[in-house]
Amino acid sequence: MKIPAIPLVLSEFYEQEKEKALHEGMPGLRTQWVLGPVWAKTREQLRNDIINGVNPISGRPVMQEIVEKLTKPLTAEEKRTGEILRDKGPATFTDTEENLHKMFLEKRYTDFLPIVLPTEERVADMLKGTSMDPDMVVGKMSPTNTGNYFEYWTFTVRDVAVNAVMAGCKPEYLPLLLAVSSTGKEAISVSDNGFVGALVINGNIRNEIGLNYDVAAVGPYAHANTTIGRAWSLIAINLGNCGKVGTTYMGTIGNPMNLINIVIAENEEKSPFEPFSVRRGFKKGENIVTLFEGWGILSAANWAANRWGSEMDYPQIMKDIAAQQGFLFGTCFVLSPPIADFVKARFDTIAELEQWLAPTPNFGGGFAKMKPKPAAEGDTPAAKKPMPKAKMGGFGGSNIPIIVTGGSNNNYWSAGGLRPGQSVKIDEWR
Amino acid sequence: MKWYMSAGLITLLCLGLICSSSGLNSQAQAAPAEEQVTVLNPLGTPPPITLKPMAPRLDTLDGKTIYIVDDGYIGGDNLLNEIVDWFAANYPNTKALYKRKGGGGFESEDPQLWAEIEKEGDAVIIGMGH
Repeated sequence: MKIPAIPLVLSEFYEQEKEKALHEGMPGLRTQWVLGPVWAKTREQLRNDIINGVNPISGRPVMQEIVEKLTKPLTAEEKRTGEILRDKGPATFTDTEENLHKMFLEKRYTDFLPIVLPTEERVADMLKGTSMDPDMVVGKMSPTNTGNYFEYWTFTVRDVAVNAVMAGCKPEYLPLLLAVSSTGKEAISVSDNGFVGALVINGNIRNEIGLNYDVAAVGPYAHANTTIGRAWSLIAINLGNCGKVGTTYMGTIGNPMNLINIVIAENEEKSPFEPFSVRRGFKKGENIVTLFEGWGILSAANWAANRWGSEMDYPQIMKDIAAQQGFLFGTCFVLSPPIADFVKARFDTIAELEQWLAPTPNFGGGFAKMKPKPAAEGDTPAAKKPMPKAKMGGFGGSNIPIIVTGGSNNNYWSAGGLRPGQSVKIDEWR
Repeated sequence: MKWYMSAGLITLLCLGLICSSSGLNSQAQAAPAEEQVTVLNPLGTPPPITLKPMAPRLDTLDGKTIYIVDDGYIGGDNLLNEIVDWFAANYPNTKALYKRKGGGGFESEDPQLWAEIEKEGDAVIIGMGH
């Protein structure tokens, strides 16, 4: 607009917004920092705290600063134009193992747990898990892909393999991780909500790579589930610049599930319903991963709606729980096979159940509509090879995804807010 | 007899200490220099930054129109209307106008409002970055 503009931002976001302004090409952006929170305060409280208060960063009166920021002439630095070229730094680091572990920790390349050092040999072994060119650009990722709040970092097949090594993955897990990464969906969102990512995996690959979908399915109780979930977070940290507290992570409370995410291999063998991927239009047995985002899940036994008794009406409990969930992420049910059997006794298909549970329109959120970013200018020729397309599935007008997994040792199940996004064919990344 | 046993025990302990001490020394002397390892950089590639100059500032607020734009964050309207009131009380020759951005969502564009501000406004204050 070519007129002076001043954004008002809470001082708690100082580091984040300074970095954001730099990435947007205005490192000296004249932001006005104010004391938070603003939400929930009366006008009188806001007058006292902000209008008649001081900028918590500078200690100077807020309104005086606003006037100065509108009228004080720009400095030479603020008028600067040009381009700042950046790269990822050296391709390799050489040192003792002890020093490298220390450096990875200090540079925040890790999730604070010990990692497997990505030596050239280990990365070469990992790359045997795919036929893809190591230099091929897989996609772009930022701390949130629901808009253009943050810059997107570009990454290759090799970059994904490096992080897979660090997480302790086996080469046979790599196509799944490439499929996940190709969506650009970050496992660790910047949002102050403290979101968590989830993967639902269908198809024969579950058995092929040893994903657990029986007792303890949704947890760190199998090598594949644990390291794949961890790798997705390391990919977010290192390839999408996610999870840096103060700049690219602002979860007010935080979320421990960000460490390994929620990795769900569906128990197709014991489910009385069609697999989730089939309900999204894929063939049975096809290897598909679907990415979710939301608040997470916890035992359905926690809800008051879960009325304990000798005889249980699980569909009614599901309906009551769904009625208590917010619109943003809907209600995701993760049913153990016995619960799914109870539901099956009353509803032939998931579609019928969904219709009964919530005959409401789909949320149609931005996340579900996101598509992978195209390859960037300057990518290598190999990088310009067309990327396998991520397929969006329809969702039948419901915002209540239902997954079946876990054991049959008792009638426990989980519920929470998780919204499905893209479904991707894993085999296109072999 | 007791004296002999104690003396024997002390001798054995000393021998043990000497042996273990010399063992530690020989281990330290035999330890090779720590091996150097080469690892790959785990980072993705950030994009270049194109620097943009900010708009020139105003020489005075007198006679100017400042748009106070609410991006829709909860509670932002209360603060922004306080700012409007502050300008009315402290800069009576400045017009501060409260406007609620349309388009839905904090980041969505509102081309109609942007066009109005470009035509009628001299400056803009926008919030809230919560």
